[in-house]
Formats: sequence, structure tokens, C-alpha cells
Amino acid sequence: MVFRNLKQIKMMKYIYTLLVLVCCFFVLNSSALAVSGPTEQLKPTLKSLIDILLDPSLKGEKHKVERRAKIMGHVTQGFDFREMSQRVVGKEWKELPQEKQDHFQSLFTKLLENAYIGKFENYSGQEIQYTGERLKDDRAIVSTQIENNGQLMPVEYIMTKKGDRWMVYDINIEGVSLVRNYMEQFKSILRRDKFDGLVKLLEEKNGTFD
Amino acid sequence: MLKKRITLFLSLALMVLPVWGAQANDVSPDANLSIDEGEGKFDEFFAEEEAGDPLESMNRFFFEVNDKLYFWILKPVNTAYTAVVPLDFRQCFGNFFDNIRAPVWVVNNLLQGKISGAGINLSRFLINSTVGVLGLGDPALQSFGMKPKPGDFGQTLGVWGVGEGAYLCLPLIGPLTLRDSVGFAGDALSHPITYVGITYLDGVAYYTVDKVNLLSLHPGLYEDMKRYSLDPYISMRQVYLEYRRNKVLNREGKNNMLNEL
Repeated sequence: MVFRNLKQIKMMKYIYTLLVLVCCFFVLNSSALAVSGPTEQLKPTLKSLIDILLDPSLKGEKHKVERRAKIMGHVTQGFDFREMSQRVVGKEWKELPQEKQDHFQSLFTKLLENAYIGKFENYSGQEIQYTGERLKDDRAIVSTQIENNGQLMPVEYIMTKKGDRWMVYDINIEGVSLVRNYMEQFKSILRRDKFDGLVKLLEEKNGTFD
Repeated sequence: MLKKRITLFLSLALMVLPVWGAQANDVSPDANLSIDEGEGKFDEFFAEEEAGDPLESMNRFFFEVNDKLYFWILKPVNTAYTAVVPLDFRQCFGNFFDNIRAPVWVVNNLLQGKISGAGINLSRFLINSTVGVLGLGDPALQSFGMKPKPGDFGQTLGVWGVGEGAYLCLPLIGPLTLRDSVGFAGDALSHPITYVGITYLDGVAYYTVDKVNLLSLHPGLYEDMKRYSLDPYISMRQVYLEYRRNKVLNREGKNNMLNEL
């Protein structure tokens, strides 16, 4: 667009100022209304996880059961294991009776506990850096970095909004998604051995830990 | 000789590639999400990609073969190597192998239009080859804060829009896609070792030592993966495909060493 005279330029300036003002209004307004963002809600969960891992009275192999129990108590506040279970089972989930759903959820939670928390078990106080947050409607990605053996390990938390709580439903470690990895594995197991076969395999797998 | 073989393989693969590429490139982004912020792309993150695996039975067979090779040969060799060579030395060797690979990274950064990445890799190569004593040290990172910008030809092809093709699990080499197997050959062409007049066997030996050293710096990765998965074959396939797709999309995740073994 070419502006032919000064009047037009002045007009555009006016409209531009107005637009900026309106934008400011919306930004301020929405941040005042929102409960709190995904990052703010994730921080306390991870903080308590770290505090427990650093607690000297809970260190070592002999406190493992107690430590894990404490961690899971906090993690379930911010991690939605129901949602994860639902996602990895897929379409069939809705047809399952409540008790089968609950049983599956406890098995899958146990597996994730070993696979995810196991990675942090030898954690020794490195700071978690929050490097970014991407948000769209009721979904969000919170990016973090943590030092691991001298290298920065990116960990992203994929979250969804349940009421006014932001809950983690997938963890992406070094660019590889944990829950989706299980989703792919379970797909072929479900096709071959059906739901009961998958439950049996999960029970066997969990039996190999601790 | 190696060059001849690679060229033959490359041209053969290039002939088959478009067919596979057309078949196995079904990305279906979630329609509800259409945000694009900065480097990370939201849509692509939530895109559910089906793994194209028409060769699953053959792949599973070679996966088992590799598994046996790992536990019977690679792991004992690695244990001995780790016991004999101290960590500092192994880290230096790791730097050395990375430094020689620098031309591959420069070429691919250029091919992907990342001029600054290519420049950084080139500077790193010059600094580390001289001040870093043949690349054994990494003063470019430690004193100048220049982080390496890896790039490979499989990634370049992806950036250019070539489909990833069928997933392959090859004996000794491990997980690849058809596109990355072409990339593997392409990278050999830009790797300096190809041009120092070594024999085919020397090339294989170089590759082996490189990988054993890398494994010694990241022990237990494969075993951890097996330990926490119900179907290790699918788990590894998924890790590989996601890792490679992220490379093409240029997202974080460059430290995932599982795929480089």
C-alpha cells in the first residue's frame, strides 16, 4: 500500500496506536484472569520431586520404597496418569469396565515410575532450567533442561488443562516422547494379545523391577 | 574401492527412493492446532505419525541378531575397553572422531542453508585441529563457547522434502530409514577418512572403534531401553523415527546417543 498524503499516514498512525492499546488491554486482562500458567503449576511439582531426591534421610537403596512412595505422592498432583493410560490403550479404553481401567492405570503408573523417575535417581542437585513455554487452547509444552553427565538434557512436559489444573500427560526426553513410545508398543500387543494379554505382559514387566 | 561401492549403493538407492518416499510419508497434523511459534512447531509436535514398517519381519530378525551381537560381542568388548582405557582418554577419542567428522557437518549445514552453522563447524574444526592437538581436545567449546552443529545427509534429504521411506533394522548398523541409508552413504562421501587411501576393512575398523568408544561413553543405554519396554523392537523403532524427525524439524534432542550407536 502506498500512502499518498500526510492525512492518510496520520490516520494509519492513529489506527496503529489504537491496535496496540487494544492488544495491551487483552494481554493484561487475560493474565489477570488466568489462574496460573502451565510453567507455574509444573514448578512446584518438580520442586518437590527434587527436594525428595536430595533429602539425605531418603537417599540410598534401602530407602528406595519410601522415597518412591513420597515422590509419587507429589507427582500425581501434577501428572495425569489416567489421561496417559487412556491414551496408550486408545479406542478400547471407553469399553473397559471401571475396575479394569483402574487396574491398568496402576500397572502403567508403576512402569512409568520406573522408567521416568529411574532417570533422575542419581540426581545430585543440578538446577532445572525452564527454557520455554508454548501454549494453545488447553494444551501446552513446557521446556526444561537439566544437566546429566556434563551434557544438557532437554526434557519437555506436555500438558493439558483439567479444570484449572495443568496436568502433564507426556514427557519428552531428548526429543523422544515417553508415553507415545508406549502407545506404539501397546498398539501391536493389543492387536495380537488383546487387552488382557497386555495387562499380563505389564504385570510380568513390573515384576522385574525392584 | 570404498568410494566405488558407496557410489554404486547411492545411485541404486536414489532410484528406489522416490517410490518408497511417496508411500510412507503420511503426516496428519492435528487439525485443531495451528500455532507456529519460534523454532519449535506446535503442530508438528502433535502430529501423529504412523511408522511405515513394511519390512517388519525382516527387521525383527536382524534386531534379534543385533541383540545377540550386543550381548555376546559388543558388551564384553566394551567392558574390556572401558576397563583398560580411562575415561579422560575415551572422551578425547570421542572429540577426535567428532573433529574428523566436522567436514560432514559443514557440508550438510551448507546444503541445508545454515550458513552460520557451517561457519561455526568450520571454525571449530580449525581451532580444534590446531590448538586442540589433532582434535583430541575441544578448546573451541571450552574457550570460545562454540557448540558443535551436527548435520548429516539423511537430515539434509529430509529438509529437502524427501520422504523417510521404509524403516530398516540392519545387521551391525542398526536402525535406519531408507532415506537415512542413502544419507549414510552420502556422509561417507564427505568424510575425510574416505579420501586418505584406506582399504574397505580399515574403514570398517575405523567405524567400529568410533562406535565402541561412543558406547563406552554412554553405557547401559540399550539395556535401559530393553528393561523398560514391553516390545524393545518397537520402542527402538519409535525412538529412532522420532529422533530423526526431530532432526529434520530442527528441534532439540541432538544428544540422544542411543541412535548413534
